Amino acid sequence: MSREWILKSIYIVIIMFVIIVSGIQFYNHRHYDVPIPAGPGVTGVVKLSDYNKNLKGTIADTNVFFMEGKEAGGKVLIFANTHSNEPAAILTALIFIENAVVNKGTLIIIPQFNNSGGRNTKPGDGYPLYFEIPTEWGAKKFRMGNRNASPLDQWPDPDVYVHYPDRQLLSYLDVRNTNRTWPGRAKGPLMERVTYAAMELMKREKVDIAVDIHGAETMFPVTNCIVVPEKAMRIATMTSLMVKAMEGFENHVEPSPKGFRGLSHREIGDFSDTMPFLLEAPLPFLDQPTGPKTVDLLLKGKDPFLLSLSKQKKLFVPYDESGWPMEKRVGQHCSVILEILRQFSRRASDRAVAVGNVPRYAEVVKNGVGFYYHDPEKAKKENIYYN
Amino acid sequence: MTLQIGIILVVMAVAYALAQWKTLSVEFCLLSSAVAGGLTGAFFNAPPITQLARHLVEGTFTYLDVILVFTTATIFMTIVSESGGVNYVVRGIIKYFYNLRIIVLFLLMFIILIPGALTGAGSVSVLTVGAPVALALGYLGIPKKKVAAILFIVAGLSAAAPPVNIWAMIVSAGTAIPYVGFELPLGIPVLLLGTFTVLLLGWKREKKMSIEDVLKDMPQVPEKMCWWRVLLPFLTFFGLVVAYRIWPFDIPILGLPLEFAIAAVVAFVVSPKKINILVLSRVTVKRLLPLLATMAIVGSLQQVMTATGVRGLLSYAVISIPVVLLFILLVFIIPISEGVLTYGGAAIVGIPLIWFLDSIGLHATVAIAGLSLLWPLGDGLPPTALIGRLSVMVSEYKGSYWSFLKATWLPWIVITLVGILMVIFSARLEFLVKWSM
Repeated sequence: MSREWILKSIYIVIIMFVIIVSGIQFYNHRHYDVPIPAGPGVTGVVKLSDYNKNLKGTIADTNVFFMEGKEAGGKVLIFANTHSNEPAAILTALIFIENAVVNKGTLIIIPQFNNSGGRNTKPGDGYPLYFEIPTEWGAKKFRMGNRNASPLDQWPDPDVYVHYPDRQLLSYLDVRNTNRTWPGRAKGPLMERVTYAAMELMKREKVDIAVDIHGAETMFPVTNCIVVPEKAMRIATMTSLMVKAMEGFENHVEPSPKGFRGLSHREIGDFSDTMPFLLEAPLPFLDQPTGPKTVDLLLKGKDPFLLSLSKQKKLFVPYDESGWPMEKRVGQHCSVILEILRQFSRRASDRAVAVGNVPRYAEVVKNGVGFYYHDPEKAKKENIYYN
Repeated sequence: MTLQIGIILVVMAVAYALAQWKTLSVEFCLLSSAVAGGLTGAFFNAPPITQLARHLVEGTFTYLDVILVFTTATIFMTIVSESGGVNYVVRGIIKYFYNLRIIVLFLLMFIILIPGALTGAGSVSVLTVGAPVALALGYLGIPKKKVAAILFIVAGLSAAAPPVNIWAMIVSAGTAIPYVGFELPLGIPVLLLGTFTVLLLGWKREKKMSIEDVLKDMPQVPEKMCWWRVLLPFLTFFGLVVAYRIWPFDIPILGLPLEFAIAAVVAFVVSPKKINILVLSRVTVKRLLPLLATMAIVGSLQQVMTATGVRGLLSYAVISIPVVLLFILLVFIIPISEGVLTYGGAAIVGIPLIWFLDSIGLHATVAIAGLSLLWPLGDGLPPTALIGRLSVMVSEYKGSYWSFLKATWLPWIVITLVGILMVIFSARLEFLVKWSM
């Protein structure tokens, strides 16, 4: 055998090894399910495909948790992981699902809105595959997903995405982005079917308020804020003022731009009676000028480059040596959601929603996020759902 | 942390240099750099060693869509060429416009601009219409070096041209700026700069041939070749692209690779000459392999750079530069970011840069349009040199790559100046955005 063939054989063996090892890791990541023990407030779990049959049997179908109060009232939809690389969203949603007690009205929660995106990775961006949240009973493991649905589930992409129904031209990637495909179509591309199902849910269930939880870069002007259209502006402003006054954290209000289509805070408001609120908490992990993309950066949000840029006044949020830990982000989301419910209930007493047993900002920062998660091993099997 | 990342960066550079010293190909140099950077990063647990293989493989998928477009577009164009269609078109252009130089140059520029403007990829322009345009330019007495230069510059401008500009779309998506109002800020400079380039590089006729001699000298076309046989595959492709624009909610999404594949089948069916499609596909892919390998490995390199923090350090360095110096350095930063990372440069440098420029009062849409003129220049720079290498390939220029690149110097400088001035005076050019909407 010539030297060239020996070398080629060695290359092939190395490449096969690398492909097999990484292939197994990708497969495990895509098929790893997060156990969600339903808390005392959960009264039923349905599938999103119940609102659009064209989702049935697809990987985009996902759990919808209903938490109905003893007393009739308004209805609130909370959906998380529209972008699965913004994990404070699902962590917040699980705190509600595992702990909330609804006294009046109904909470509807979708913890993994873009289920395909949650099982996808982001080539080129070097994300870790998983992250773990420490709890009293051990670590709770989550998948780190991608902003967009997996091309394994929705492909091919068009050369440019033409938004329905406005015909605005968007990046071709946005056809897989569930925060660009609103209001969606029943038989459109898979992610349009997801947003269409959510629109149907809001219409059929007569949802008053929809909260879409996100995270954004510290260098992004639209961060640490509540994005709302005109009709939700009053409640958002009062919420922002109240959390600042009572709980001491900033969360300003951003108006939803009318000319930027496909976003939940624009289309839900325009195409239904529901009032949308999109929550953004700072997420240093997503910033471009950071050190290595590690789990530590994801959970603690500490980075020396961002600290230096903060001193140069190039960030849009306050940033110091303590970074932006997950507890702060999740705590903010919990408090802002509770305050939105309170402000709404004050204005529409017949549609009030009263929720108890959900921690606010200071409690989450003090106790940590994992404190509010329950051991799935100790929960009844019929009460565990997988996403 | 800066020291840690600095060490990784140095190791990557040394690995690249060593591989180059051993006269390995660009792809192996990049792979050596990625593996060395990943292993050094693993020493600091960033990324963990158990994840290194996954990062290297995952990175290769970063530009999978571009790789598929290149492959299918090149097979399509090779079939058209093999069938005699390319020669037929060139013969037609020469026959009717040989003595109307301005018109013929403008027409040829427009032909190059269309595919890239519709798809956002200058490489598609070169791959679909590059060969016939190169031949036509050759018969107009323009040397191959200048032909390659014209193709490279105009194809680059076609990628920046509206309606589809992928750099602007990536930056807009990342900065939550609507991808609207780009028609005039992009369309006007692209048309002016394109016209300037073809006239500058193509005006001088370096050898004069009579039209009879040219037609005699040109390759013969198969007897049964006719206009509809040439047009039908192109009409199929552009028809599919345009149909989605007109009826986006009524027809299924095919995607560029399938659209090219369908057009290739049409070209194969209507060819007057018998073509062995399997042999043709194998030869074409073999010819493209270095380019495809570069794209795959650049993705791996980008992934390793991100996982280790090298990408973040570079991005941080760009953002930290004082404003005046930044405007000067953009001349180098933007094209180099494209040369190293292709579209990744728009995400890594472009997004934080636009946030920063927006915060100091510049108009984001016009600034993105200005930067969009600079990014395609990077497609002529190694290690990727996507459009540059394709332009040299289809124009059949046999000189060194650098001599080709040198021929582009004047249009390069003018485009750079226009782009930078658009960024600096973006606030004053806001009216272009308003007029577009």
